[in-house]
Amino acid sequence: MIEEVFSIDLPVGEQFRIQRCRYTPQSGETKKRISIVSGIHGDELEGQYVCFLLGEWLRSNPEKIKATIDIYPAINSLGIDSITRSVPFYDVDLNRIFPGSKNDFLPAQIADGVVSAMSGSEIAIDIHSSNIFLREIPQVRIAKSQADTLVPLANKLNIDFVWVHDAVTVLESTFAHAMNTLGTKTLVVEMGVGMRLSKAYGHQLLDGILNLMACEGFLEIAPLEVRMPIQSEVGEVAYLNASCPGLFVPAIEHCQMIQKGDIVGEIVDPLSGQTLDEVIAPIGGILFTLRAYPIVYEGSLVGRIFGENG
Amino acid sequence: MKRIEILNFKSPNRAPLKVEGFLFGEESYGTTIAIVGSMSGDYINQLYVASGLVDYLRQKEEEGKITGKILVIPAINTYALNMGETFWPLDKTDINMMFPGYVQGETTQRIAAKLFESLQGYDYGIILEGRRDQGMCLPYVKLIQSGYEDIDSARDLGMRFIHFRPYSPIETVMLQYNWQLWGTKACSVVFGKNGTIDRLSSGEVHGALVRLMSKRGILDTSVFEGYASNIIEPDDITVLKAQCAGIFDSLVGCGVVVQKGEVLGRITDALSGEKLENITAPIDGVVTCQYANPLIFQNSIAFRIASAITKR
Repeated sequence: MIEEVFSIDLPVGEQFRIQRCRYTPQSGETKKRISIVSGIHGDELEGQYVCFLLGEWLRSNPEKIKATIDIYPAINSLGIDSITRSVPFYDVDLNRIFPGSKNDFLPAQIADGVVSAMSGSEIAIDIHSSNIFLREIPQVRIAKSQADTLVPLANKLNIDFVWVHDAVTVLESTFAHAMNTLGTKTLVVEMGVGMRLSKAYGHQLLDGILNLMACEGFLEIAPLEVRMPIQSEVGEVAYLNASCPGLFVPAIEHCQMIQKGDIVGEIVDPLSGQTLDEVIAPIGGILFTLRAYPIVYEGSLVGRIFGENG
Repeated sequence: MKRIEILNFKSPNRAPLKVEGFLFGEESYGTTIAIVGSMSGDYINQLYVASGLVDYLRQKEEEGKITGKILVIPAINTYALNMGETFWPLDKTDINMMFPGYVQGETTQRIAAKLFESLQGYDYGIILEGRRDQGMCLPYVKLIQSGYEDIDSARDLGMRFIHFRPYSPIETVMLQYNWQLWGTKACSVVFGKNGTIDRLSSGEVHGALVRLMSKRGILDTSVFEGYASNIIEPDDITVLKAQCAGIFDSLVGCGVVVQKGEVLGRITDALSGEKLENITAPIDGVVTCQYANPLIFQNSIAFRIASAITKR
């Protein structure tokens, strides 16, 4: 059932709206609920494909549904339809104003509407695509303070990497933090790259979501066989930042195992024809982030490597 | 006056990003102040005030009136100013969300780090800010309660209102919060409408900056007294939202004293022209902010009214 959970009139004959598709058991009442969320950033589309795949599966298997499953493919619907990461008109990152407020400007009201709609869900999965600059392997990012609760859930999602990071105050303005504070166990998935689809990643995460829902009692199916993600706590993450401006040309593919000292890419100058710098791996490990947008300034992130200790 | 380079940042194809500061009284052992202008590409009022202040101080220096040390940085994000963008043009990050900065981090973190380094050690710090929404407002002082804030120096600006409130999580990565933590008595002056120059507001802010410098012994000049600032906390503000979307017509200006029941604005249907709504004041007070775009969204904040003010 498609429902509108938030609507505001735009100035000229249109509404900003957030819709969800709700799936419920064929028989019996349930208060158990899970929310699958994407499109908080309007330039991140990987989650849209996962929402489609999940909806397609649920439509084909209605008898397997044991609890309420809500799918929200497009939170920042105005942004998604106009290739705009932030809330259009206001130029505000929606994922920096949660939990929002009814008495603040429009983006804060949208955030408040999102929280109201999902409040009461037992679990939420917030699917992001990195941004247009970086390509990421499927991963879940979790604040250290929530690791005990969320890492066991993340391990069921068929992802490649679980990244537990230190708490950062600014991230208290995110959807995930707001929902976790309200008692909804919320996982943030990052995978692929902005403005594009990675079909294989979509299918990989679909299997993970089905597995999680099977394990947590939302679906009456046997758990799937899923991969065990690498855990960030057993190693270290090395950041590769550009040392100078130019055009970044990768030397290796994303998601490769590399050795310390390997060349990850070059920064070149199209005007002079010179190679300005080589980006060298400071540690060995898996190249789990790789720059997808080639123009770099000094400091631009070009890659991240996870290396296991020892 | 000494024109100094705060940072010089190369671009792949554009001319380098050069951020410049104007330093007065470099040799002074007196009180020091730094004033930061436009950090966003649409903070034109802030650029206007800061550059006007540089010109004013240059004249005062010739008259031998500078008694402290003053640094004015009129523009940080010149790349955005030069192309009608708001944020860093490549990745759309906000420099004022990157403090205290990180020299090994991403581009705007590095810019913030270099800027922050140049702002260390000043006694007072003023950040000229525009709006973060589609509004316009009466010039006011924004002072967040970091635990290190200094309300007395904020009062010396002599502005009508000081908005004194707890900080939100995102403000922990903004300049004011970090500057306060690093020992500078910092506050923000918020004014105008983004992308425009409001000469009245700009003149008021210029006067406030000169007043503060005079009262704190940085500038030897006579000034008129300003307001005995009203301290406004969030509960003192009444928010008036538009019930309807459409064409918004404001009937009052910021700073106007209004009475309960007074019509402040009207909304008409953008297609049919039908009169949809009169927005009326529910209380007596002063209009501090208003929506500043002719097209308004449903539930947008049309006006903010300050009322029930008690001096704290």
